[in-house]
Amino acid sequence: MHEPHPVGLLVEDDYRRNRLTVAFRLILAIPHFIWFFLWTIWVVLTSIVNWFICLVTGRPPRWFHGLMCGYVRYQVHLSAYIYLVGNPYPGFMGEAGEYPIDVRLPEDPVKQSRWKILLRLFLTIPALIVGAALAGSTGGNVSGGSSGRRSRTTGFNGGGALLLVCGVLGWFASLGRGRMPKGLRDAGAYSIGYTAQTSAYLLLVTDRYPNADPTEMLVSVTDRPPRHPVRVVGDPYDLRRSRVTVFFRLLLAIPHLIWLALWGIVVLLASIVQWFVTLFRGTPARGLHRFISAYVRYRLHVSAFLLLVANPFPGFTGSPSVYPLDLELEGPQRQSRWKTGFRIVLVIPAFLVDTALSGALVASAFLTWFYALVKGSAPWGLRNLSAYALRYDAQTNAYLYLVTDRYPHASPLEGEDVPTE
Amino acid sequence: MILRRSAGALAFGAVWAVAAWLLWRSSLPAYHLPHVDEHGLFPGSVLHRAQHYSRVIRLFWIGQTVTQLVVLGLFARYGVRWTRESAAGPIGTGMLLGMVGFALVWAAELPFSVLEVWWRHRYGLSGSYVDATIGNWFALGAKFVALCVALVIAMGFARVRRIGDRWWLPAAPAFVGIATLLAFVSPWLLGGRTFHAPYVPKLERVERVHVPVKVLSGFSEPNAFSTGLGPSQRVFLWKPITEGAFTPPLDRFVLAHELGHLAHNHIWKSIAWYALFALPLAFLLSLAARRRGGMGLPEAVPLVVFVYVVLQLAVLPLRNVASRHMEAEADWSALRATHDPATGSRLFRLFAGQTLEDPNPPWWDYVFLENHPTLMQRIEMTRYYRSYVRSHNHR
Repeated sequence: MHEPHPVGLLVEDDYRRNRLTVAFRLILAIPHFIWFFLWTIWVVLTSIVNWFICLVTGRPPRWFHGLMCGYVRYQVHLSAYIYLVGNPYPGFMGEAGEYPIDVRLPEDPVKQSRWKILLRLFLTIPALIVGAALAGSTGGNVSGGSSGRRSRTTGFNGGGALLLVCGVLGWFASLGRGRMPKGLRDAGAYSIGYTAQTSAYLLLVTDRYPNADPTEMLVSVTDRPPRHPVRVVGDPYDLRRSRVTVFFRLLLAIPHLIWLALWGIVVLLASIVQWFVTLFRGTPARGLHRFISAYVRYRLHVSAFLLLVANPFPGFTGSPSVYPLDLELEGPQRQSRWKTGFRIVLVIPAFLVDTALSGALVASAFLTWFYALVKGSAPWGLRNLSAYALRYDAQTNAYLYLVTDRYPHASPLEGEDVPTE
Repeated sequence: MILRRSAGALAFGAVWAVAAWLLWRSSLPAYHLPHVDEHGLFPGSVLHRAQHYSRVIRLFWIGQTVTQLVVLGLFARYGVRWTRESAAGPIGTGMLLGMVGFALVWAAELPFSVLEVWWRHRYGLSGSYVDATIGNWFALGAKFVALCVALVIAMGFARVRRIGDRWWLPAAPAFVGIATLLAFVSPWLLGGRTFHAPYVPKLERVERVHVPVKVLSGFSEPNAFSTGLGPSQRVFLWKPITEGAFTPPLDRFVLAHELGHLAHNHIWKSIAWYALFALPLAFLLSLAARRRGGMGLPEAVPLVVFVYVVLQLAVLPLRNVASRHMEAEADWSALRATHDPATGSRLFRLFAGQTLEDPNPPWWDYVFLENHPTLMQRIEMTRYYRSYVRSHNHR
């Protein structure tokens, strides 16, 4: 296990949301947008100077370090506010400890490799790609000033896929219930945390590369969700990848993709029958449940292979316990008839989250392809981000195809048994 | 036991020979082509260009073939190590091994594909580096699918206990069935726009074939082919053959040639030839597979893939003989339908200039690479037709 990342997420949010401020959140944030825009310009200009100084001295001056830390922290507070990851109105100065969603940053400037400083803008590109898929071009709402020669700013960019979807869905949920769902809150917090690490790296606050592992980001700062009946199991340290099969991965997956499509047609028909059975009996038919479960598992295996989350060529039957990234599914359980009747409508929000996560999955696979070709292994953080996305996809499919009536949980953390009193 | 096997092999050989003889029969007369000197037919510059161009293309083919054999030979020796990259069952693992073998061949042949494009560009012929690399990549995907289907059939049968090492007996007909299905379905998948010309109905009447004639875009060279079975029969003309130097009389001759293929059931005959080779080849593959425990085991696949490629190379001359025979019959059919040997001769001379095909290639090129008669043979055929008509009219 490696050392914890110097830029760590801090979460002290209690999920409660004020309906009034939720309803008008974007309008309320207007002063912040203006302030943030001005601050971004200032940071872009100073980061160029900071870059030159760092190149000479090997570490940023204390004043510049403080400025960049304040900016990163303010970016986190503002993103959290806009996307409903946090509730209170944030301050304007990015003070530490003033907001329930915060980041821990290095207090003092640290010595950094000059090579990494010189090439920082290029080195950040992979992290920016992942960040864009999670939360926008560099960070929730921001973007980045760079420390290189071609500094640029895009200012407020409207957020990215996952964070945006969490914010939109969270808006409706918070208005209705006065609480932010834990899954969406956690997914949003994770996106913000990753982009904070990316910004900190880009702005020379640290030279530790952003870590996309969701568990490491969240496990010490928030509770795990309750155990879901659809669980992904596998060794997160199973990182070896065969270079030859990585290079030809897309083509090698073709037979599986054809088989998956054919099987999918049959599963669609089977799930229609299953829908009627579940609606009348309240419990899915065992045979169909087994058949559809195998399909959901097989889909996970194929996706894991295709998107480089696992190494070996999968089998064609969706058998349990044969693939390094596997799916645990429970047998047929009693299901709510209401949830069954409206399943196709109820699944829409989960589909939106799933689609957003698919963007991160593809970005992760794209980067892993290059990494694995060079190193013969997958990067740990990206592998675990992909496993999270695949888990959510499997839960969504299991919900859609009536394997379970438990809604997919968007939290990046795997669930655990809730202790009984 | 040996006696029984020998008798069986002899009987099979006899049946094979009779079938081959039946397939060989054609409407071609017993002909002897008159010798024509190519220097009298082609300008020296055209001849020199075509010969020089073809010489290097042949070298590329040799390089590609040797590379393929070396890579697959090494893969047959060491490829088993990729079994650890599979969590699939034996058949899935066999598929992975087969695909990896072909993928390695693709990677090793890539420089030749790129060099060939470069060489074509030097001679003003079309060719795209994107097609030679990324386009080839997609072609490799199609090859993977075909390979996987073949392996599923072969390994599937081999894993049935009652069949075991005799998997080749049911597998060969299954391969033939798939080839027939593809020949039947593929014309509908190709699309194309309808070709209109005033001579089409007359030609169809003469050849007694009534099929749609389509033009396919997206090609840069003049070519045409006929395909399909029964209701799916079609003639496809590549767009360049309908424009530029290819005047209507030349197109008419091309079309007559393609209709000749359909008139003489060449698609069915091609499938039958394929069937004739499939059975003994599958048997030889089963012998090779036994050295690695049988076709039912994935460990046999790298060796089987290598042996398959070697056997394909070995039977290539025979297949080319059959193919050239059918092409000659189609030429003859076109001459009889158009009664225009002069146009036929002009068409074949034009090909030398347009496609830089060597009119008179060396013998080994003829044996391994030419599935059509050479341009000189085709021109000689038009001369022979003249004398044939003259002698028959005289009688």
